[in-house]
Amino acid sequence: MTVTKSDSAAAAAAAGRRPLLRRPDKPVQASVIVILLLFVLFVLPSLMSGYYTGYMTLAAIYSVVCLGLGLLVGRVGLYSLGQGAVVQIGAWTGARLLYGTGQPFAVVVIEAGLVTMLIGMAIGLPALRLRGLYLALITLMFAGAITVVLATVNFPNGGGGFTGYNGGSLHIPPIRRPSIAGTESAYFRYAVVVAIIMFVLVYAHLRTRPGRAWAAIRQSEPAALAAGINTWFYKLWAWALASFITGVAGAVLAAEYQHLYSINFATQDSIILLAVVLMGGVYTLWGAVIAALLMQLLPGWLQSLGVSYAWLDILFGIGVLQVLTTAPTGIADQFPKDMKRLGRFLWRQVHRPSARGAPGTSGPPGAPAAGSPGGGAP
Amino acid sequence: MPSWSELEQFLVSGLALGGVYALSGVGLVVLYRATGVLYLAFGAVGALGAFLAYQMIQASAPGWAAWIVCILFGGVVTLIYGTIFGPALAGRDPLVRAVATLGLTLILFGAMELLWPPTSGATRSISLPTDNGGFTVAGLQVTWTQVIALGAGVVLTIGTGAFLRYTKLGTAMRAMANDREITATLGVPVRRVEAAAWFGCGVLAGFAGLLLADLVQLEPATLTFLVISSLAAALIGQLRSITVTFIAAIVIGVVHDLLTPFTALTNYRDMTPFVLAAIALLWVSRHRQIMTRSREEG
Repeated sequence: MTVTKSDSAAAAAAAGRRPLLRRPDKPVQASVIVILLLFVLFVLPSLMSGYYTGYMTLAAIYSVVCLGLGLLVGRVGLYSLGQGAVVQIGAWTGARLLYGTGQPFAVVVIEAGLVTMLIGMAIGLPALRLRGLYLALITLMFAGAITVVLATVNFPNGGGGFTGYNGGSLHIPPIRRPSIAGTESAYFRYAVVVAIIMFVLVYAHLRTRPGRAWAAIRQSEPAALAAGINTWFYKLWAWALASFITGVAGAVLAAEYQHLYSINFATQDSIILLAVVLMGGVYTLWGAVIAALLMQLLPGWLQSLGVSYAWLDILFGIGVLQVLTTAPTGIADQFPKDMKRLGRFLWRQVHRPSARGAPGTSGPPGAPAAGSPGGGAP
Repeated sequence: MPSWSELEQFLVSGLALGGVYALSGVGLVVLYRATGVLYLAFGAVGALGAFLAYQMIQASAPGWAAWIVCILFGGVVTLIYGTIFGPALAGRDPLVRAVATLGLTLILFGAMELLWPPTSGATRSISLPTDNGGFTVAGLQVTWTQVIALGAGVVLTIGTGAFLRYTKLGTAMRAMANDREITATLGVPVRRVEAAAWFGCGVLAGFAGLLLADLVQLEPATLTFLVISSLAAALIGQLRSITVTFIAAIVIGVVHDLLTPFTALTNYRDMTPFVLAAIALLWVSRHRQIMTRSREEG
């Protein structure tokens, strides 16, 4: 059941990639993605219980966050350990604007993205002088500082002033949602549509000049520089784009929670984000969708089974170690390969059953990947 | 504006905190220089060790046994991780090796949440017998735990410096910091030296975990992420200089605690390590290329 959902949500997010192709080089795949997308938007909401609708909305929102981090890590080679704090900036800004102004929801979402982008660029301008490990660590430091500030300032709850926080307020009004998306399933659709737009935005970048510049920078910064690419400018561009879409996701997240507290955002979130993004796969857009489902849908599923969340941390930890040591491309790339290998293996089993009696019991390398999100067996 | 007499007590606690940060920071720097791995699981290892000690004390085991278990746990877990994943990731970028230790962090963190879920009522705590004893200096109450924390920071910094300078193993570690391949060619048992560095760093992690559980709070997230403060100190030392790391750690600890009585700033005091490290990193990057271990330059 969850597998169907993951496939369809993945299709939903990736479907946006199609219109930008110059020619539909895989028409079958494209039409399957469009059908799956239509399924997610129009059929899935009526099939899901209210419980799973909430988790799927979070997954749709976090697919955008994971997309931003995957873009930085996989396409440009910039590791950020502070994306959790960027989500918080977007959520704070979105909540403040939704409480304080009567602007249409979509406008607020874009404004939150822009504000987050400006703050992200203000951090990125000096931080991008650093490389590799040092860049990752300085993002960790900035994230720590931002988290402390937001925990002290508090998230807006309908009060006045710049912070919009009213400590003594007994009745806290919920953060408003768009008028066209009042119900839970309507808001799920809204979040999916926002996610599709963000995926299209990123895909458009990847198919054009910035995408090629990022690919060159990832391969070798000196070579990119020698080829006449303004590496500083394009790195900052990637940083700004990732901050923008993460800010947009943050604003949508604020209206999904409806009441925001700093307790919604745990310190380990930034680390878990990097873990699931690496596990999902940073070299394809599908990876972001898989990562979001791992991070947001699995907890819901575990809770319905009565299993502690803590197992997820352990699972993600093992997943990171596995991805880094044996499968750097992540599930999005590894899983289809493993499935093909499994198919070939079964094919051989059927056609030469007598020749391969004993090895059949050892199992194919890809088989565990089907059950566990940790990916293929090490 | 608080008076000096109010600040004095925070100066003492800040020095103790700075001492623990210093010994953690020195552990991180030595391991990074010897193996090229920035050990981000440092805090989580110490935290889990402290929880084990807590559990043993709850089961009325003798205190000294619990402390030894805590410290050895850090050493053993770190050594196992280093033995398995050190060679497996040896040729990779330092960033990848640091992120891999985040995997260990998540595993240990999950294990702590699972085995010691948050309690609603009474908070867990470890109190060392050195909390009760103490002395008074110029009207200031100082506990032995605070003395041990600062003393351990000082002794370890000086000791590690001397160790790296004068012993054979220390020389081997310094050689490996410069070039692992050439060091191996010269006949240094690289794997064994690395194992020693891993174990030493792990023991420090366990020790720091025990002290912080007493000085700060026995809570998984707090203890796991306190490593960021030591990391900030190590970064100010550019992951190279243990002297600068020590000074930075003391400054971070003291500034953090001295901000406590200022009502306007008290909530922001946790930003101290982040702000100081960010300033230091940006200042260094503006003035010169950050030094890395020579092998990773290429």
